[in-house]
Parts: sequence; structure tokens; C-alpha cells
Amino acid sequence: MTTGFDLPVRLDGVVKRYGGRTVLDRVTCEIQPGITGLVGPNGAGKSTLVRAMLGLVRLAAGHVEVFGRDPAQEPREVRQLIGVVPEDECAVPGLAAVEMVRYAARLSGLPSIEALRRAHEVLDWCDAGQERYRPVETLSVGMRQKVSFAAAIVHDPRLVILDEPTNGLDPLERRAMLDRLTTLAREHGKTVLVSTHVLPDVQAICDRVIVLAAGRVRLQGSIDELTRPAIPRLRLEATGPIDRLVAQLAGRGIDATRHGDTTLLLPLQDATGRERIWDAARESGAVIRALHPTHERLEDVFLRAIAPRDEVMHAAS
Amino acid sequence: MPLHDVGYRAWQGRRTGWWAPAAAIATTGIRLAWTSRWLRRAVFFAWSPALVFAASFFAFEQAVDEGRITSMVERAANGRNVDGIGLLGTVLANTLGTPSSLDPAASREEENAHTRRLVWSRLLLAFMRAPQAVLLTVVVGLVAPTLISRDLRARAWLVYFTRPVSRWEYIVGKILVLTTVVAAVTVLPALALWLAGVLVSPSVWVIVETWDLPLRIIGASVVLAIPTVLLALAFSSLTAESRIATFAWFATWAACWIAHSSLTTADLVATPTEATVMGESMTDALDADWRPPQRFHWLARAAGLDTAIDRWSWLSPYHAIGILQAWTFGVEERPKAIAPPAVSMVVVSLLATAVLAWRVTAPMRA
Repeated sequence: MTTGFDLPVRLDGVVKRYGGRTVLDRVTCEIQPGITGLVGPNGAGKSTLVRAMLGLVRLAAGHVEVFGRDPAQEPREVRQLIGVVPEDECAVPGLAAVEMVRYAARLSGLPSIEALRRAHEVLDWCDAGQERYRPVETLSVGMRQKVSFAAAIVHDPRLVILDEPTNGLDPLERRAMLDRLTTLAREHGKTVLVSTHVLPDVQAICDRVIVLAAGRVRLQGSIDELTRPAIPRLRLEATGPIDRLVAQLAGRGIDATRHGDTTLLLPLQDATGRERIWDAARESGAVIRALHPTHERLEDVFLRAIAPRDEVMHAAS
Repeated sequence: MPLHDVGYRAWQGRRTGWWAPAAAIATTGIRLAWTSRWLRRAVFFAWSPALVFAASFFAFEQAVDEGRITSMVERAANGRNVDGIGLLGTVLANTLGTPSSLDPAASREEENAHTRRLVWSRLLLAFMRAPQAVLLTVVVGLVAPTLISRDLRARAWLVYFTRPVSRWEYIVGKILVLTTVVAAVTVLPALALWLAGVLVSPSVWVIVETWDLPLRIIGASVVLAIPTVLLALAFSSLTAESRIATFAWFATWAACWIAHSSLTTADLVATPTEATVMGESMTDALDADWRPPQRFHWLARAAGLDTAIDRWSWLSPYHAIGILQAWTFGVEERPKAIAPPAVSMVVVSLLATAVLAWRVTAPMRA
């Protein structure tokens, strides 16, 4: 269990109101080490949640801790631990990309020469190439995203927060960005919080997910837990005589359901049961390509979570 | 592909102190501002009046060296141009036309030292008020409007406030950018002028006699910089369109100047012979034996030689700051003259600071 100063972020009953509108309503959640996805529809309160972590907004109630520190009391110390990649373009016009990253490093407290060295280093890691010498306002969307990312990590923060990090990236760049996030989390022990609408990205790299809707946490937990179906089943993908395989399985007391041309859904089996599945395949002449527990799609979990409460109750009943 | 791609590496160096963010904002802001060709031209041009004023210093020191101060004063009193620009004659006629505060038994060296202090102070004051204050308005108008409005437009506030930068550090950084510009346009040329005076003077003791003038130059520049810089930044923070901030800046100076001139003229027209201002008669206040030559009247005013109390000075930043600068140089000491502009500029500075503090964090409250 992660506690105290090791726990990256803990929010406890956080309430934030803008005028009469409640943007965060008793939000209680934890961000654990690893990669966490923060998902929710537009206006769910994701940006306000991030601002609360940075100590940029005054809370009506509740408490935030970032690595054991209160951002409202120690904003400088907390922000030195955090790197943020905002969704919107934000840069200082007139600066070249490398100057922009160096400027970000200096604002975070790196000495001037060290800031330049470090700026080049992270831009190298982001494959920025010679584009780094062009003014930021003339860069392509993808390059600007790289510069924003480099500026966010140049001071080696412990927590990296990214708002829509793959917006405007081509498939190759998107893959590279997700790989970099994975590297930061797995190899360098950074905590990464990804706020995004792109659920496949979340499913691809995140360990945990927090679903926020109408200012409330609707769902939080590990992706594995959240996408595990209510009735655990096995998904079997095979080629060859599928009908004979179904018959062989039935003969061994395993009730298989067809799910497409090459896929069967089976009740979850223990080791003996799985042995019987292999026997049935051998007897039927079918070739098993994959056999694994079924998971729900994150999108389905998300849609169910953000549905109005009465709708959820209705669906459950 | 870099030659030595080291991948991502942790950084465990020592962080800089509390001053670093403001210093980074200031140095980067200055560098960005300096890329403007118009600013470079304006700052270069801002040094040219120093060459003209240096002629006055040279003419005065030559007269001291050759022992012909008295004859120069006589020529100046007769309206003759003694330095080619008319300023020195104006200053000399007034400065040496008033009763000397020196002991009548003072030596010639002591009298020269006293005269030098008075003349140099007035020359420097005229330099800072007449060409430099006007040029400063132009230069600040070129730089200030974009400083914060551009950050608002480009959403660069996220660059600052998601990092360990407080709004006061941000504001101080921006103030330092403009203060550097103010220094380049006013302090440095004025100090160079003082140094030129020292160099053309026949005596090295001139440094001892005028040691406080560099400090007074800096003081006068601070008096000039505080309200102007804060007001310019406040305008910049109110809009994401720098053009609107530029217009507001110049419009404010022009409107206040016009209002001041109109009201002063109205006073003179209403009571042309006895312009009683704040209980003091303007004609009585003027030296009975001397009137500045009309063609150099504006320079006389700039040098603090106009003894009438300007009761509308608080209305115009240019005139209010001018009186406070005269006080800094020890030329103006009457509380009735100093208090209204001082209160006016303090109020302007406080209001501008409040606007700045409120506006720079406004996007985060949205």
C-alpha cells in the first residue's frame, strides 16, 4: 500500500464552485504510481481537478495532497514536482522551440546553462530534430505537442500531467508519444496522469482509470478490474471446423457460445477444464489461436459510468 | 538523430534561488523586446539628446576654466545664446540671478562649486524632463503593451503558473523588463551626461562636488519608472489585443496633457495679471528681476525654473512626474507644489498594481 509522501496524489472531499455552479462535487480519489487515465465528458471537471492539484484554484471544501504536500500551502514546492502538458497551445511567441524548453526549465529553477543542456537532451529524446530552432508559433501541431511535452518534463518532475497528449498526432507520433509515457512510468518511476477522450489510448497504456462526470468521480480502479465482466468468461479464437469444436466441447460438458465466425465464449475454466478444451480442439481438428479471459471494452465501461444515475439504476434493475 | 542520444535521464542538480523565475522572465522579456527593430531605433535615438546637452556642460565648464562665468551670466541675462542651444543661458540667468546662499566671504572655488551644483542639477533635470520623458513614453509604448497581452493571447500564462512561479514573481519579471528600458532611455544617458561633465571639467574635485547627482539621477528615474511602468503593464493586462493597450497608453498621456494644458490656460485667461494659484500669487512668486527668454520657456520649465505652482499638475502624469523629479534634484521643495502630484502618482501606482494583481491570474479563475 502506498501512503504518505509516496502517494502521488490524494483528493479528499474536494469541492470547487464557480459562482453558483459546482464544478467538483466531493471528489475523493487517489492517483497511484504508474499511469492513470482521467476520463470524462467535456465539462466533467478534469481541468479544474488538475488546477486543484497545482494549487491554482481555491477550494470550497476538501483537501488535496501531492506527494504529502498541500498545494494550497506549498504551491512552489508542489509545482516543482509536477510537469503539465496543457491541451491548448501555450507558448511564448518569438522563442525558438529549444529556447521555449530552456525557458520552462529556468522557470522551474534550473540554472541557465544546465537548462539549455537539459532542453537539448529532452528534445533529443522527443525526436525534435532541427525543428527545435524554429519559432514555436511556426511549428506543426505535432511538433508543438513535442515541445510542450519536453517543456513539461525538462525539470524531471515526479508527476507528469498530460491533457489530450495525442491530439493532432499522426499514428506514428501517437505511438511514439504513448511509448515515451510508458518509458517514463515503467523505467523512470514517474507517475503519469493522462486526461483524454481517446479511450483506446487509456486502455493501451494506463494501469488505472478515474472516470469523472458532472464533477463527481463515477468510477475508479485498475483497468483490469473495471473491464472484468460480471460473469467471467473465456474467449477462444480458433480456425478450422468451429462447429465440430463446439460439439466436442459440448461432449466434454463445456457450453460454448458462437461469437462471430472464429470466436467462442466459454465459461471460465480451471486447469482441468482448460485441458479438456485442448483435447476437444485436438479431436475436432480446429487450431486454437488465442484463449484468454474476456474483458469489457473500456468504452462500454465509460459510457455506463457517465450515464445519469437513474439510468444506471434502471439498467441494473 | 542526435549524435549522442542519451535517452531520458533524471536530473538531480541544485535548483536556483527564489529570484530565478523573475530573473528568467526579465531576461527573456528583454531579449524578445530587443528583437523589435523599432525599439532598437528608439533607444539609439534616445541617446542623441545627451550629445546636445553635453554641449551645455562643455560650455559651462569652459567658462569656469577661463574665469568668465560673470560675463557669460551677463550675456545670458541679455538673452544671448551661450551654448548653442539656449539652455545654459536660461539656467545661468536664473541660477545666478537669485541671491546666493553662500557666505559673501566665500572663495572663488567655493562659489564655482556652488554654481556648478546648481547648474548641473538643472541641466540634468531639464535633460530628464524634456527629451527623455517624452522619448520614454514612446519607448514604453513600444514595449509594454505586448508584455502581458501577448501572454494572455497565446495562453502563455499556463507556461508560468503551472510552474513554481507566483503572480508577484511574474509581475516583478515584467516590471524588470520595462525598468531596463527606462534605464536605457533615462538613467544611462543621464549618467553618461554627468560623466561627460566630469571629463570636460578642469578639476577632478568636481566628482566630490557633484557626487550626489548620480544618486539623484537614479532617484528621479525611479520616480519616473514606478507609475509609468505600472500603468503601462496594467493597460497590457486588461486586454489580449496589444493594439488596444498601445492606444490606451498613448491616449492616456495625450488626454491628460491636453486636460492639463486646457485648465492651466483657462486659469491664465481668467486672471491674466494675478494668477493666484493655491493662495500664492504667480507674479509674486516669479523673480522680479528675471523672466526666462520666451523662446526657451519650455526648457526653463523643464529645468524647474518656473516658480509658479502648477495646481493642475496632478492631472497629467508628465507634469506630475516632472515636479517629483524636480523634488528629487532638490530644485522644488515647496510642499504645496509637491503634495498633489505625489498623491496622484501614488494613487495611480496603487490602482495599477491592484489591476495587475487581479488580471494576471484572471484566466485561472475562468
